[in-house]
Amino acid sequence: MKTRWPMLALLLALSAPGLAAKEELVTLPKRDTVQLTIYNSVDLTLVRETRELSFKKGNNRLQFSWANTLIDPTSVEFAALTNTDKLEVLDTSYPAQSNQMLIWTIAADDAFAAKVEISYFTSGIRWNAEYHGMLSADESSMHLTSFVSVYNGSGEEYEDAKVRLIVGSIHIVEEIAALAGSARQGRQKEAYEGMRRADSNAADKKDITKEGLSEYYIYTVEGTETIPNGWSKRLESFQQAGVPLRTVYAAQPEKYGAALVKLLSFKNDEAHKLGREPLPEGVVRLYRVAGDNQLSYVGQVATAYIPKNDEVKVNCGHDPEVTLKRTRTSLKKESLVFQWTGNRQYLAGWDTVEEFKLELKNFRNREVEFEIDTYIGGDFDFTSATASTKIDFRTQRFAVKLAAGAKMDISYTVRIRNGTNIRNK
Amino acid sequence: MNKRILFTLSATAAFSCMLGVSRPEVAEARIKLATLPDKEAVVVRFDHPHVVLVEEERTISLQKGNNTVDFSWAGTQIDKGSIVFRPADVNSKVVILSTSYPPGEAALTWSINSPDARSEKFRLSYLMANIQRETDYRAIVSKDEQTCTLRHYFKIRNWSGGTFDSADFVTRDGKRFEKALDQGEAKRVLVNKWDKVKLVKEYTYDTNRNYEGKVMTDYVLKNVKEIGLGTIPLEYGKVRIYQDDGQGTTAFTGEDWGQFTAIGDDMRLNIGIAQDIKIEFKKMVNDVENRRGNVYDTNEVDEYEIKNFKDTEATVTLVLRVQGEWEMQKDSEGYASFERIDNETIKFQVKAPPKGTPVKLKFHYKRLNNW
Repeated sequence: MKTRWPMLALLLALSAPGLAAKEELVTLPKRDTVQLTIYNSVDLTLVRETRELSFKKGNNRLQFSWANTLIDPTSVEFAALTNTDKLEVLDTSYPAQSNQMLIWTIAADDAFAAKVEISYFTSGIRWNAEYHGMLSADESSMHLTSFVSVYNGSGEEYEDAKVRLIVGSIHIVEEIAALAGSARQGRQKEAYEGMRRADSNAADKKDITKEGLSEYYIYTVEGTETIPNGWSKRLESFQQAGVPLRTVYAAQPEKYGAALVKLLSFKNDEAHKLGREPLPEGVVRLYRVAGDNQLSYVGQVATAYIPKNDEVKVNCGHDPEVTLKRTRTSLKKESLVFQWTGNRQYLAGWDTVEEFKLELKNFRNREVEFEIDTYIGGDFDFTSATASTKIDFRTQRFAVKLAAGAKMDISYTVRIRNGTNIRNK
Repeated sequence: MNKRILFTLSATAAFSCMLGVSRPEVAEARIKLATLPDKEAVVVRFDHPHVVLVEEERTISLQKGNNTVDFSWAGTQIDKGSIVFRPADVNSKVVILSTSYPPGEAALTWSINSPDARSEKFRLSYLMANIQRETDYRAIVSKDEQTCTLRHYFKIRNWSGGTFDSADFVTRDGKRFEKALDQGEAKRVLVNKWDKVKLVKEYTYDTNRNYEGKVMTDYVLKNVKEIGLGTIPLEYGKVRIYQDDGQGTTAFTGEDWGQFTAIGDDMRLNIGIAQDIKIEFKKMVNDVENRRGNVYDTNEVDEYEIKNFKDTEATVTLVLRVQGEWEMQKDSEGYASFERIDNETIKFQVKAPPKGTPVKLKFHYKRLNNW
């Protein structure tokens, strides 16, 4: 299969003053290794390739060209991995004749072969995480499987590449695709054969090792991967059976909208048989085992990055078997205060007193938890026979449990003071 | 006796003429005598932050009496008014009598008086447009994030119309390197490298920098000798940061614009979001106080719950702002230290224990409505 890798060539003219026509161009042998470090927070992949080069004593001119790629020219770097003290990059020249080429002038103390690394940024490759949770029949636990998928839309084929994925949100000041120049149509290649050939070598599932680095995590895929252009590849990151789940029915309009929603939550910690690494942002899809190895879909959520010990909540939407009805049972105006201005009297202060009723019904065959928030503005008194918690200066929360098949009514009264009735605390 | 000498600059022949390569075919019709003096040196100076000064030296053979020297620069971006021509020796007896500018030409003529026949070294300086310069840095941070190797690159791109077959390029900090530079060509050179530069990592919550309230990770480099820098002011430029990954290679961990940093000043570089530190804001109290007619104060308690999910303790800086006239109350708590930066801004340092154990910063203040 034809590939379009950046090309490295040695110009066999020592100490040439310019791009002289007499220079002989020698295309160098294939790279020895290639490593892709792929970021998911930005469209950026760091490519490192190594190869063995022969240097002559004196100044060597090494040409690197990347026509029809998405490489950021400002990111291309040369580094000697062996004979480092005998090689020195004197300058990097970007000739006027080509905007997709550079020439390194490298001084060598002697004639020798050295292992060198060329690194650069490219765009068009991305990765994302996905999670599948298979719920137990009573939704008290799940079997969680985590995947990472790499998609190659760079226009290049990456053969036998060591793949590393960076979990985290790095800061960049310029988009790599913009630095690479005008957008280029991705070239669809004869990818199928390449993918099939690569997969035919895979006998076992690959391990993905995880390691922390500064504010990030590096996921390293075992062995090497071939990812043809236009293809994506999904690999399993980990599996964990028996992850305990908590089910909460939440009425929190600012977070989840007006309706009562079912939230399935778990923590990324040891108590939940997880917590070995943070979970990258991705879509969590939950299914219920419906018998005979059949599945029914429960819900999904696009989660942000979940640190170790943090909690994730999956919004499964409305559940007709668990209901909440909020009604206003009474409205009164009290404590009216009138003031005179000249010979006119006007209303200066008043209290609004409202009574509400929450009707909770659990038609399920298991106990469920509720978290019901009430938002109140201004200077108010909140009273109820049922215990509630102050979440912030305008939010009260009822947190109650309801047995299977049970019903419960919660009443509360809100007195809001207006105008001159607002208290001077 | 009047001798006529020619310097020619053009887009094609350009500086090669000044540098002593004889190319009579580029001489223009008005030239009477084209005896090109030998080159001595060409220096391109970047010490001004925006303007490039080119300085060249050459020796001219003068006759006794008045001599005429032509200088033309067709196709190049020389600022005519900036040209300074003088003998290199300040005590020289040679006198520049006048400078004449022919109409409609990128050229001039000097009238030079010499007391005798001699070879005199002259220095010609002028400002040249469209020679772009760019500074960038590459930092390799150690695995433990205590130190870094900082490489400082200088890149020049030549759109001036001229060609430098060989010239000394001088950076703002006095670094000098000799290169050839073609029209349209760019060159990037490593000009400084500092090893084992100490750096400080900081976590900052500041909604002016990140409106979503995410915690930013910064590296702070102090441009002083004590940490391995402090030799030159650091120019504005992009800093790309890599970190030793402990696997024999490095990983790119972010980039930021490094602002111009004078000696003694700090360079702050944001590398990204500290995803393992989360801060949740709640306003717990917002009461009316001290009502006087339709004027009142407010008593407010803001609560910031900080969760550090890392395995080690972290110190987080919270930059908070309150508009107008306000006073912090003594029962504010949960911080290690605080500093009121200006009237609107207060900065708290909070020590966040590891493994997600929450710590709360209670910021209690009264907003005063005094008239």
